[in-house]
Amino acid sequence: MSGKRFTLFEAKGRSASAPELPPRGLDRREALAMLSAGMATALSACGKPREQIVPYVEQPEGLTPGLPQRYATALTLGGYGRGVMAIAVDGRPIKIEGSPNHPYSLGSTDAFAEAEILSLYDPARAQAVFKGEEPSSWTALQTALLSRLERLKGRQGAGFTLLTGRIVSPTELRLIAALKMAYPAMAWRRYEPVNDDNARAGARLAFGRPLTVLPKLGQAQAVLCLDADPLGSGPEQIVNGRGFAEARKAGGGFARWYAAEPGWSLTGANADHRLALTPAQVGALARHVAGKLGAPTGGETLPVQAARFADACAADLIAHTGHALVLAGESQSPDIHALAHWMNSRLQAPVSALEPLDLNPDDHLASIAALAADLKTGRVDTLIVLGANPAYDAPLALGLPDAMRKAGFSVHFTAYDNETSAACQWRAPLSHALEGWGDARALDGTASLVQPLIRPLYGTKTVSECVALLAGDAAAASHDITRQTWTDKAGGDLDGFWKRALTDGVIASSAQAATPLPPARLPQMAQAAPPPSLTLCLSPDPSLYDGRYAENAWLQECPKPITSEVWGAAVAISPEDAVRLGLKDADHVRLSAEGRSVIAPVRVTPGQAQGALSAFLGGGRTRAGPIGTGVGQDFGKLRGVGGSRALAVTVEHAPGHGGAPAFQSTRLLEGDARKLSPTIDLATLAGLKSHPLDPVKTPPSMLPAAPVLATDAREPAWGMVIDAAVCIGCNACVVSCQAENNVPVVGPEEIARGRDMHWLRIDAYDVGDPHDPRPAFQPVPCMQCEHAPCEPVCPVEASSHDHEGLNAQVYNRCIGTRFCESNCPYKVRRFNFYGYAEEQAYANLGAESLKAQKNPEVTVRDRGVMEKCTYCVQRISAARKLAEKEDREIGPHEVVTACQSSCPTQAIRFGDLNDPASGLAGLREDPRHYALLGELGTRPRTTYLARLRNPNPALSEAGE
Amino acid sequence: MSAAPNPEAGGWIAPDIDSCEAVNRLIAAPLLDRQGWGRQQWRGWWMLMGIAIPLTGVFFLGVYMILTKGIGLLGNNTTIVWGFPIANYVWWIGIGNAGTLISALLLLTRQTWRAAINSFAEAMTLFSVAIAGIFPIIHLGRPMFFYWLAPYPNPMTLWPQWRSALVWDFWAIASYLIFSIVFWYTGLIPDLATLRDRATKPFTRKLYGVFALGFRNSARQWAIHQSFYKTMACLAVPLVCSVHSIVGMDFAASVMPGWQESIFPPYFVVGAMFSGFAMVVILAALIRKALHFQSLITDRHFDVIGKIIVASACIMGVSYATEWFTAWYSGERAQHTYLAYVFTGTYAPFYAIMLFGNVIAPQVLWFKRARASLPTMVMVAVLVLIGMWFERILIIWNTLGHDYLPALWRAFWPTIWDYLVLVGSLGVFLLAFLLFVRLLPSVSMFEMRELALRERRP
Repeated sequence: MSGKRFTLFEAKGRSASAPELPPRGLDRREALAMLSAGMATALSACGKPREQIVPYVEQPEGLTPGLPQRYATALTLGGYGRGVMAIAVDGRPIKIEGSPNHPYSLGSTDAFAEAEILSLYDPARAQAVFKGEEPSSWTALQTALLSRLERLKGRQGAGFTLLTGRIVSPTELRLIAALKMAYPAMAWRRYEPVNDDNARAGARLAFGRPLTVLPKLGQAQAVLCLDADPLGSGPEQIVNGRGFAEARKAGGGFARWYAAEPGWSLTGANADHRLALTPAQVGALARHVAGKLGAPTGGETLPVQAARFADACAADLIAHTGHALVLAGESQSPDIHALAHWMNSRLQAPVSALEPLDLNPDDHLASIAALAADLKTGRVDTLIVLGANPAYDAPLALGLPDAMRKAGFSVHFTAYDNETSAACQWRAPLSHALEGWGDARALDGTASLVQPLIRPLYGTKTVSECVALLAGDAAAASHDITRQTWTDKAGGDLDGFWKRALTDGVIASSAQAATPLPPARLPQMAQAAPPPSLTLCLSPDPSLYDGRYAENAWLQECPKPITSEVWGAAVAISPEDAVRLGLKDADHVRLSAEGRSVIAPVRVTPGQAQGALSAFLGGGRTRAGPIGTGVGQDFGKLRGVGGSRALAVTVEHAPGHGGAPAFQSTRLLEGDARKLSPTIDLATLAGLKSHPLDPVKTPPSMLPAAPVLATDAREPAWGMVIDAAVCIGCNACVVSCQAENNVPVVGPEEIARGRDMHWLRIDAYDVGDPHDPRPAFQPVPCMQCEHAPCEPVCPVEASSHDHEGLNAQVYNRCIGTRFCESNCPYKVRRFNFYGYAEEQAYANLGAESLKAQKNPEVTVRDRGVMEKCTYCVQRISAARKLAEKEDREIGPHEVVTACQSSCPTQAIRFGDLNDPASGLAGLREDPRHYALLGELGTRPRTTYLARLRNPNPALSEAGE
Repeated sequence: MSAAPNPEAGGWIAPDIDSCEAVNRLIAAPLLDRQGWGRQQWRGWWMLMGIAIPLTGVFFLGVYMILTKGIGLLGNNTTIVWGFPIANYVWWIGIGNAGTLISALLLLTRQTWRAAINSFAEAMTLFSVAIAGIFPIIHLGRPMFFYWLAPYPNPMTLWPQWRSALVWDFWAIASYLIFSIVFWYTGLIPDLATLRDRATKPFTRKLYGVFALGFRNSARQWAIHQSFYKTMACLAVPLVCSVHSIVGMDFAASVMPGWQESIFPPYFVVGAMFSGFAMVVILAALIRKALHFQSLITDRHFDVIGKIIVASACIMGVSYATEWFTAWYSGERAQHTYLAYVFTGTYAPFYAIMLFGNVIAPQVLWFKRARASLPTMVMVAVLVLIGMWFERILIIWNTLGHDYLPALWRAFWPTIWDYLVLVGSLGVFLLAFLLFVRLLPSVSMFEMRELALRERRP
């Protein structure tokens, strides 16, 4: 070789004059070229893109790097969808907000929807296919599955069992129907632990078929809840909360709510009259009320107080015929549900009826019991579990975990490696709802498209792709599958339809047509069995639902309403029962039913029905990743094969002491302290006009006024008014704030030491007397005081006032003296005792993937820094920038804080006090208006409207 | 007791000290006399060092852990954001108070008996203020930026917040510490010169000589020394009042129930004097026993200190009663619940200990026999110190744990690091004091000579 081949110019190739060389392997230069190309490929890309990737040549319309984008999509809870707007910044979804057009979102969210964003980035998510504990691949699973299915096809699918949660998604239903066509003998089982079996059975009794009956709470003027919790967790919480708030506006008709329930629910806490009764007594009360409405029931032996309650309530219901409503809860038997339907038809209640969206004809318990029976008798050859987690949440009495191991072949398609994965041979990862296409239907049937905001973070498939895989189409993409579903319904213009559906967030007029409600038959009342001496009542956990959110640290650390417990929950017992059993608060007990037992701490709870214990489902997960494993107790496993959520238990002492950590230890407000959270009777509201709660708007203050930097009168003065009358204590705002403001989780040990980081807390006081508790919710963000006590004490001016009246905290100036929190009468400041956000994060919360969730507009705070609510200053700032760019003022409702946007009842109002159009100044003139601790002269910008109660005069007279 | 002074003559020195040389010999012996003060004499010293050194290690381990892991190690929580470090700081700086008062106030008021105790009391001040100064820094979330409290030139032109009591406090501690060092050293110069002159070994002579700054016992030097020393003393009295007033204002300049009280500044000054004198009793008893200073630190000294303690205890009692009365009289809900919590809440037993140590136990000193009994005096002093520490921590716990909004009422449970740093700080103090006793005159020689001359003057 000559030296000239090394010259730069010749490097393009050999000279033409060079003689043709014989065929050979790579020469040195080619080898080097290949090597460097290989290196370049390896360095530049970690994986091959699935589809063709083209870099931006032109910037896509609407996308500006750094500016958030909003996409309408839907999230499901228990199978039913709630429309949401997912906010993405530079391709990273960072926040969930409500979808205004969606009838089951109305622009608001619930705690679960808000927390989904953390689940997306959860490092503990299932990320790859596993065979047993061996990592495998989708191809291997597909090969194994298809050969299996091939054999099943010969037998018409006999022995092929598909287990899902509730499925109402049109695409998923279509695919399952197609699968059923291919395998006619296939069994489709469906199970939700928080199900509506009793409601379905009740509807069958009353109407002959399992109609879904949806209440219209906004139109109801008198509501009786028979252990029903319409304001509690569930896919209907938002719409019910909004209905509650709409029907309780001072000025218009003001609904009166009655609740009879064994343990505290949000509905009971917000009702005007609440009576603590065991489930059996609630049934008796229902029959008593029905008797007053003309049913041939009655003759019930009710306690005197309950009889008075029932009589007054029945009279009220009758007086509001046409606007009266009776709701029965899942702990009530089908005949009580049927009786409620009958009462509703007598009262011409504002309800609408739908044919069930859930096309599986079986009841949930019957379905899962049939699966268990099939498994035990060896009739299941191939078991496919799609999303559900029956090994944890089905009644333990069914023996599912062991039975599932008997299946010849089992696959668990799952978002998390959980209890059911352990019982299945294969597990395959499911995508998060923000990672793939799909569709969802709300309770009323309104359909919306689910669109991805991010490419799947891991090698996951959506539910529809998994069903397609079962049908043999491994290559199907969720986008095509979903589009195919809607091709017929689009009326030719699929592209236009698709675009409209995506921008609107709902598919127009897709709601299920209401069925005319057939006359309800009066059920034959079964002779009630003698009630057990102690009944355990189970309800979905307000933070974990049925346990599916146990992996979500935000929800684990979200204080449960009323008890404010986090990271677990105790079982509630009435003070009388506690005395009888010799139990004190936080003592441990062994609860036993049919040979199964759970050891749990008790919480002595005034207002708990004597003879009833209350606990939440969803605790005590045994395989729920680093966050959820072993938190709380699994009360659900006490359920018998019937799966009833009210069951007889026996209680005995167990060694041990200590309950779940709680945020708030003192609840009872007595005497003058009642002024902290005032409650006003509707009847006295008129008199309040002459004697407003807050007589002196600006009391004298010894605190120095904030320096006024700008004298421009058009400078906004931000303020917030929280209407305690409609705050139902649902916690959506707490989680929303956490998501928006990068608020870290501290973990159970830190909570137990009295530390927490929530910028917004919901204080739940008890403003009743010790025998008649009245929970009162009071959300407490930073008061943004005009004369802020935190400001003059900060030695480095990290706490200072800005020109819009915001009490700002300058993180990088803070040295952590904590004088500000010492001197804050509201105690709204939160201190990073450790580096909770990253380097000293709890469990796996410092993982790399979670960094993508952080809101880029909000600083992630370091160890040793004080932080607090900022009124979402980043949102104010974004609005200001936009307004300045367009040379206009900030609009009256342009800035929406995270808590405000999430609130289902719109209890939180935020705006400019100087702008009459915002309505804030007007709210401050309301006679119900008060400032928390206003007498200190702090002049808070966050103020409140007092809680309103509408007690029935017939019940308040003779002294409760 | 052999060391009984002659009360009729108003004497503060036992009769066996009859000359300046006797004073010098007695005080310098432990430092310089190799024969008289052999290993045997220092056995107790080494035993105490055996306690002090490990405890000092524990203290610095605690500080290191807090600085590296964060103050999450301590028991502080969202509601009670202050805890042991602040209480320790207030307690230690209070102890420091007595030294300055003895040196300065008693000098200005011509209380000649102070000569026997002022030197070690000043050393006590210095060490306790130095230790106190560590606590506010380790209590910070970001201790590396503590200097932001100072108005140093910086490109952001940021200044501290002058309205914050913590900034006043920063200046108060800094000036008090600097002042204490200078005042203490000024008082030592003549004695260092004496030691230089008496030293037999060249190294010792050099060492003391360097620090004696060429003091030659000339009349001119004495005149300058005395005028400077007395001027310093004039400065010291307002300073010692201001530093403790400002510590009181750390709490009083707030809106919290139980803190926002105008009585706090004087009450803190008296409380500081109270705990300082209690510590002086303990140290005086130790020095007197260990260094055979019965002739210099006489029973009469303990008698007058006992009187000061009982007077302070009465003032403390009145202060507490004033607090209760104003809390009740204010008619405010938060004040009432605070008061109820103080007496019936989580920390009520500690409050009882505090009242016993600070108010009730010292009442025994009304009796002359109690004041004459050293064990009784020391026992009362220990109770006062414990009571005063509880007062410091309870000011924080009761107010922050039980303020305006019941939702955030919480209790504080200390962690092992809280205890280790507290106990370790006692070790640091002990170590510093032991080194002081070994290296420097525990009783001022020149002032004792002056006293002796005055008393023996015919």
